Amino acid sequence: MINVTDLTKTFGKTQVLKSITTQVNKGEVVALIGPSGSGKSTFLRCLNLLETPTSGTISVNGVELTDPKTDIGRVRQGIGMVFQHFHLFPHMTVLDNITFAPVEVRGVSVKEARAKAHELLSRVGLADKADSYPSRLSGGQKQRVAIARSLAMEPDIMLFDEPTSALDPEMVKEVLNVIRGLAESGMTMLIVTHEMKFAREAADTIYFLDEGRLVERAAPEQFFSRPQSERAARFLEQVL
Amino acid sequence: MNRNGIRITRYVPLIALALLLLSLGPVIGPWIHGAHAADAQATGETAAETKKLVMGTSPDYPPYESVDAKNNGEIVGMDIDIAKYVTSRLGYELEIASMDFSGLIAALQTGRVDFVMSGMSVTEERKMSVAFSDSYYTARNTIVSRKSDAYETVEQLSGKLVGSQLGSIQDQFAESIPGAKQKKLNKIADLIQELNSGRIDAAIVEDAVALEMVGANPGLVLNFLPVSEEDNGYAIAFPKQTQLVGDFNRMLAEMKENGELQNIIGQWFGEKEEASERETGFLNIDFRVLDGYVPYILKGVYVTLLFTLVSALFGLIWGTILSLFKISGIKLLVAFATAYTSVFRGTPLLVQLTLIYYATPQLFGFDIPALLAAGLAFGLNSAAYLSETIRGGIMAVDKGQREAAIALGVPYRKMMVRIIFPQALRHILPALVNEFVALLKESSLVSVIGVTELMRRADVVRASTFRSFEALLLVAAIYYVLVLVLTSLARMLERRLRRSD
Repeated sequence: MINVTDLTKTFGKTQVLKSITTQVNKGEVVALIGPSGSGKSTFLRCLNLLETPTSGTISVNGVELTDPKTDIGRVRQGIGMVFQHFHLFPHMTVLDNITFAPVEVRGVSVKEARAKAHELLSRVGLADKADSYPSRLSGGQKQRVAIARSLAMEPDIMLFDEPTSALDPEMVKEVLNVIRGLAESGMTMLIVTHEMKFAREAADTIYFLDEGRLVERAAPEQFFSRPQSERAARFLEQVL
Repeated sequence: MNRNGIRITRYVPLIALALLLLSLGPVIGPWIHGAHAADAQATGETAAETKKLVMGTSPDYPPYESVDAKNNGEIVGMDIDIAKYVTSRLGYELEIASMDFSGLIAALQTGRVDFVMSGMSVTEERKMSVAFSDSYYTARNTIVSRKSDAYETVEQLSGKLVGSQLGSIQDQFAESIPGAKQKKLNKIADLIQELNSGRIDAAIVEDAVALEMVGANPGLVLNFLPVSEEDNGYAIAFPKQTQLVGDFNRMLAEMKENGELQNIIGQWFGEKEEASERETGFLNIDFRVLDGYVPYILKGVYVTLLFTLVSALFGLIWGTILSLFKISGIKLLVAFATAYTSVFRGTPLLVQLTLIYYATPQLFGFDIPALLAAGLAFGLNSAAYLSETIRGGIMAVDKGQREAAIALGVPYRKMMVRIIFPQALRHILPALVNEFVALLKESSLVSVIGVTELMRRADVVRASTFRSFEALLLVAAIYYVLVLVLTSLARMLERRLRRSD
């Protein structure tokens, strides 16, 4: 479903991603872990061209993203993204946040979009918050709305960029439960996270990045019990 | 589609919008002109009708011409009556166009008016650009001074500070007074004020005006000066090469012969009643002189508000476009917007206004109405400031908002209009209100090109009443109330925008 070949990215003189090659299958749930500054977020952001790769190719469902002929807006509609700091639109109600893109970008009728939004809100447990403004919500509630907003576009792929890092500890669980539910529904997902326990339980594959390299790619059981690289072993020692 | 291609084509609608706005000028012109024409007694439709003559005049010089502010703001005076007589005898219909004295010659040259009667003296300088009729009235110069001084002769003025109206024939006379220092002021009302406050010792003013000045200000006296030989008197000005001069001269001769001219002069220059010793209070202020003028001044509120609204709207739209140019990252657009801001912030608004109003007819052959020129100048100027404010507001919106919109596949323009601008607006609302308050108050500047907004109307009333403070105080109060209303409206809007907090 996603094919990444020889992906590199440099900011000025710093090489943030060094020749990453991998592929993600349909329905696969990938957890990206590694020390900060290892390039996890940059890698994720390359997948919907929030960052433009310096070299290499990325194809999603057979569409080459860096090809100048590609309608990137269209590709992005099929890839949902959830940010560490939510980035809800503060001047819109929860309902408008969710229906904005389906109505304005995909041309779904307002009625249909609202029905769908209410359904998604029940799914993330916030059915009663439709008419609230984001400023009235807790962090965990905001992040669940952000997930619903992405899902409203009916994407094939969901990208999560440290979705629980900005949350108070007691709110982490409610968000992770929503993500876990999504994983079980068969969504293709890539999640940058520091929640090792969650990664172990929910992911099909762990990517361990360090200094811009994809150092290890393994099933959770194998990675957490028998890390192959010395660097990963040291990292796990520090976080577990 | 080519991604670079997308980047550039995104801006095409914006550029088109800018061009549309510029081209809109002639379209909204007539509409704005409507407000302007309230001041010109348009009796018919257009100059295309046969047998119509347009007369240019500056109605701030009673008894020659003034706005009868107490009665519908009609323009009246001795010049008007003579013009009416002459044109009706020649079989023309008369239309009167009001403008500032300094713009009259230019109006003749650009064909905006067919002739000018505005207490205009014949000078060699003016003869270079226009043709004059025979003179119809010769005014005598007078010395106006405070009762305590009561200067009678030119010799007494040696070593004194003598005031005169800038550009008037008396101005030239005052220059020739041996030993006197000169102070030139724009308006008769200013001369009165300077006399009353002791800043000048005397003023050289022509007889008819002096009579009115003294009539309205009990503390002043006038003394006639001997008629000078070379004084050419007042005459009617025409564009060069017109046979109208001959026709008018014939009629003037007839009027002199049959006594009609003397009759009209007598009507306007009748003996002035001696000023009653009014009981005057603080600063010699007596608001009773405004009696009957208030409705005329209040009508200026509409013009001022219309003007402020149009220029604010234009400035906001154009400023937004400029701010988008600045953040576009396209070198040419960035350079243009930066240079634009630099020029319009770096030169005085009054200079821009005067340039646009007087240069447009010569450069583009488009007789730009005063209100449109003013709206354009203020809009263009305001846009320069607003573009920086708006740019700041856009930059202040969290980068994540843009990323969230991009990730959802929202196209650039929709993202800016629906996501970024509404948030930027909240940041910059106080700055916007400041800008609009400034616009409202600075709109008083446009009185210099004859737009009959509040300040201009105050000047007209000052000229008619020969009193300087009362009308000024009244418009100051009106401006203040307008600003209060504007700021409280802005506060309501701000509260509405903040309802999501």
